[in-house]
Amino acid sequence: MCKLRNLRLLTTLGAGAVVALVAAACSDQTSLNTATQRPNFWVGPPPQCPAGKWTGGGRIDPTGDASRTAPNDDMADETSGPQPKPPDPPPFITGKVTFGFNVFLGTDADQNCIVTKGEIEVNHHPAKTSWHVSIHHGVDDFDGKVVFAAVFPDNSGRGFCVVVGLPDKPEDATSPPPTGFVTARVNGQHGFEKVQFEGCDNDRGRAQSGRINGFHVDAMRWRSAGTASGDPGDTGLTYLTGGNIVEHGS
Amino acid sequence: MNGKTMHWVNRLAALGLAVVLTAGFAVAGGAQSVGGQAYSTYVNTPLGSSGQTPLAVLPAVFGTDGAEADAEGSALNVAGALSSDFLNSITSGEIGTAESGAQSTASAASINILNGLITADEVVANVMSSVGQDGAFSNADGSTFTNLAIAGVGSLSGDQPVAPNTNISLPGVGYVVLNEQIPSGDGVTSSGLTVNMIHVYLQSLTGGTCTLLGCLPGVPTTTGEIVVGSAASSVQ
Repeated sequence: MCKLRNLRLLTTLGAGAVVALVAAACSDQTSLNTATQRPNFWVGPPPQCPAGKWTGGGRIDPTGDASRTAPNDDMADETSGPQPKPPDPPPFITGKVTFGFNVFLGTDADQNCIVTKGEIEVNHHPAKTSWHVSIHHGVDDFDGKVVFAAVFPDNSGRGFCVVVGLPDKPEDATSPPPTGFVTARVNGQHGFEKVQFEGCDNDRGRAQSGRINGFHVDAMRWRSAGTASGDPGDTGLTYLTGGNIVEHGS
Repeated sequence: MNGKTMHWVNRLAALGLAVVLTAGFAVAGGAQSVGGQAYSTYVNTPLGSSGQTPLAVLPAVFGTDGAEADAEGSALNVAGALSSDFLNSITSGEIGTAESGAQSTASAASINILNGLITADEVVANVMSSVGQDGAFSNADGSTFTNLAIAGVGSLSGDQPVAPNTNISLPGVGYVVLNEQIPSGDGVTSSGLTVNMIHVYLQSLTGGTCTLLGCLPGVPTTTGEIVVGSAASSVQ
């Protein structure tokens, strides 16, 4: 049952992500969104995947609002880049989620955007689930695979987002297809499962001076297969209740 | 105004511009250093002790770099003093050309302090510090208590914040500070904030004496402390 659910999740995740990646290649940052609210270009050139660095942490409180109109839903940016509409997979992950992360990006021999080094910790408090992602020397510590990523301007034109854990390119036919995303350790040593992290720096260089409905403008999204944790789902892209996400250059 | 005077005016203007630009870059260019730390519990009482657990400390960050540290604990029990579970501490920080900062989060669930004197389903301490073109600042947005209750005082239902540095007397025990906030920095080029969501100070009276003329009260002396949910961040 779990295998079937996981396979369905990954298939769904994969379809959306692969197609969109064509338009959101890491090096393709020249055709930026020209919406009224432009990113703060004064802080430097738009972030590129090669040698990109992203760090942040804080808290989100996803509500699971199906209409995506809750005050802390970043609906405008939710389907930016390669990202599908939530919940993908269902159900929504709701309640307090705290997190911290640091990822360095680079490219592989085929110029795909990859994570060269990174740590991501996410805690879903109502379910008491902790996930940890660790990447060193360009591969996931827990499955030995390359972790693909994407950097793209968000739909609102306010900033940029990073996604960690896209499908493998090409998909690895030696593993149950489709493979990819990123493998997280669950609750210490209680198994491993596929997850995906997204963070958006919507206030570049301005240190969360902006607020929307009282929430910080940076946003975070977490997607979990739930095969080991029993805590599957998708937070949707959600404005931070507290904390900060910073794209700090290459 | 002769040419010599103009020469000095120009030099002064250039010097002033250089000072302004340097100051501007010092603010907008971010921090020289960032710091962060988080832990879920700390107990130092006559009943028993436990160090800062689980402790996450931000490693040194250089250049335009960043780092993250985290620690997890499934449960903690210091008999009679504190029990708690789902302990998590996270800190991260970065130095960038336009913005530098640090952010820390500590949480603990199923909290029972001093045999039910203070209970809570969960506390989350969440702080961030940042320096950029808007100056330096810190905040504790996202720090809350869930179903907090203090025997003989009252309770809060659901997930709620509490005003910073709320001091509540605990007769016969000491006092507790809820959402204890300790700021630092000048707010221009540096800023920091430490938040202790529950900080119990155990006290006893020492030195009091009584004579035929009356009694002199003792002086309260701190004999122990319990901290639940501590997060700190700083930039400078």
